[in-house]
Amino acid sequence: MGSVMQVVFDAASLGSLYALGALGIALIFGVMRLVNFAHGDVIAACVFVLLWPSVDAVAIVFAGNLPWFLLVPFVLAMGAALSVASEVVVFRRFRNANPATMMIASFALGFVIRYFLLMLYSSRPKSISLLPTLSQPVEIMGARIPLLQVITIVVTIGVLFGLTSFLRRTRFGLEMRAAAENFTMARVLGVRANRVIMGAFALSGALAAAIALILGSQTGTANIVMGANVMLMAFIATVIGGMGSLAGAVIAGFLLGAIAVVMQVILPPDARAFRDAFVYGAVILVLIFRPQGLLTARGTKERV
Amino acid sequence: MKRVIAVLAASTCLGSAAFGDDDRIVVGFATAETGFMQAYDKPAQDAAMIRIAEINEAGGLLGKQIEVVNADTKTDRAEGAKAGLSVIDAGADIVVVSCDYDFGAPAALTAESSGLISFFLCAESIKAGIQGVGPNSFSASVLAPVQGATMAQWAYEKKEARSFYRLLDTWTEYNKGICDGFDYMLPQLADATLVGEDTFLNEDASIAAQITRIKGLPEEPDAIMLCTMMPGAVSAIKQLRAAGINSMILNGSGVDGSYWLSAVPDLSNFYTPVQGSIYGDDPNAEVTAFNAKFKEATGGDPSTQYTYPGYVMIDVWAKAVERAGTTETAAVVAELEKMNAEPTLFGPRTFTSELHHQNQARYLIVETNAGKPGVVDEWTISAPIPVADLMK
Repeated sequence: MGSVMQVVFDAASLGSLYALGALGIALIFGVMRLVNFAHGDVIAACVFVLLWPSVDAVAIVFAGNLPWFLLVPFVLAMGAALSVASEVVVFRRFRNANPATMMIASFALGFVIRYFLLMLYSSRPKSISLLPTLSQPVEIMGARIPLLQVITIVVTIGVLFGLTSFLRRTRFGLEMRAAAENFTMARVLGVRANRVIMGAFALSGALAAAIALILGSQTGTANIVMGANVMLMAFIATVIGGMGSLAGAVIAGFLLGAIAVVMQVILPPDARAFRDAFVYGAVILVLIFRPQGLLTARGTKERV
Repeated sequence: MKRVIAVLAASTCLGSAAFGDDDRIVVGFATAETGFMQAYDKPAQDAAMIRIAEINEAGGLLGKQIEVVNADTKTDRAEGAKAGLSVIDAGADIVVVSCDYDFGAPAALTAESSGLISFFLCAESIKAGIQGVGPNSFSASVLAPVQGATMAQWAYEKKEARSFYRLLDTWTEYNKGICDGFDYMLPQLADATLVGEDTFLNEDASIAAQITRIKGLPEEPDAIMLCTMMPGAVSAIKQLRAAGINSMILNGSGVDGSYWLSAVPDLSNFYTPVQGSIYGDDPNAEVTAFNAKFKEATGGDPSTQYTYPGYVMIDVWAKAVERAGTTETAAVVAELEKMNAEPTLFGPRTFTSELHHQNQARYLIVETNAGKPGVVDEWTISAPIPVADLMK
């Protein structure tokens, strides 16, 4: 029982990470049909804001020394600010460009962020002790797991409920959903486009920051390319979840995490090195049977 | 440092002056001055510059001052070949290339095709040498399998480890090399058993599933052979300890350094093989003196043991040139290949016509206890790893 629960927790915590990433990408895709490939670099930047710029091997911890109740809001705010800034400075100029152009712009922005970090902090991965108390093991239902895994799962579920009620119950959420469904119509009906889009970017940036906090405390490392892997998985999750569908992105994120963990458990040792090939194989299978994704966002149907 | 810069500046100006001029001895660095490899190439190159400055101060090589030319590979393989050509055009007698086989090979191959000696700063794959470049190519470091074999044998003999667990990060050849050495050594250790094995990827956000497998064992293994490198190593170690696994963790040299220890506070029972100690407690006082010299030249202490191979490289090459009485490639290679347990600051070095790399080496064993690393022992594997086993 203990070992089954252990696998369930492993899958849920990895899935949470992917789900948070997928949500960040789906939110922006929903309102402006932009696949934001800079998302991974925003994640990396959010970890680096905790450090003072230096190219030394030893990280000079700066904001990372804040107590957690200041640290968490600080990182979330920085993520949101960076994301909003990228919309104001870059993506706003591409408002009427086609999605492919915007995607290329997002790649370019990602490179700019990454090389800016490279310039300030060098390519050497830095070590940080972020929220070290979360590395304590705890015992739940016979499984002994790091506290961070539990918090990751709880935070993700919390974010999902929070976001759902925000989208359903608030005026801003309503506007955002309207914009996601039919942007032109929403604008005609008085939804302020820039405000909605900036809101989506702020939320997406804060989600990137949440991933940064989890990754940072889990791995103890700040690395300029650290967001790339999560970004890739999150992007795949948004695709198999159905582009633009928030619920689909979350479900697919959890599904990917679960597949990755289960593959690691059941594959024979020689095949484990190719775990990701099996994971992507499963992705291909999903897309063969449901090319539109698991859930289809209503807004995307007639546009594709 | 001023002197180093002066030599650099002088040599760069002179660089393009006279190609093939036999009155000059020129070391060409086709290494990464920018991009991510810079973090790995720079310290070893700084150490090489210290040895060059020492030789020049003592009257030079064959009575001539060693000059230096540089070209930036920009951590790019295509640029690497160009950088190699550029230092050769500037009259290099030896081409020093990037730390890593993949990034150093283009410049090394350029040197090989020009009939020049190439030296990898600190590559630890057997390909960095005869097998992957050609008969004039060498590496200044020690093969990765030696690290895995050293840790397995040492833990068995000195720590009475009997049950081993093998955790391989399949990202690089270096990681696989460490585990290959471990695999070679384990069957030679009577009653040592492999109780399990698993793989992960350096960039994996979580190795929870791998940890669950270790925790599923009837007993915690005596030692975990962790074949990985930065940055994933920190993440793996942190997660292993966070999950309450207290087994001895054995590693390759890639995790040397105290710069990352803040990420895993109070880490204990953690062992690493190193060629020399950066912690000021090397049994050889000259290494500590070198560390001081390095700090004076660069403004900082060496951050990992990968600084040292750069020094060894110039040291053995200069000795070979001195003995050959010329910088001519064939003569110098022949002298290098005669070196058998040649003493250096960082242990004896051997080159043969079969292998331009170390398949046996003296390693210091660094233990990290309560977050403090320090040398606790030294170990040389009982026999060199046969080349056939290295080629697997």
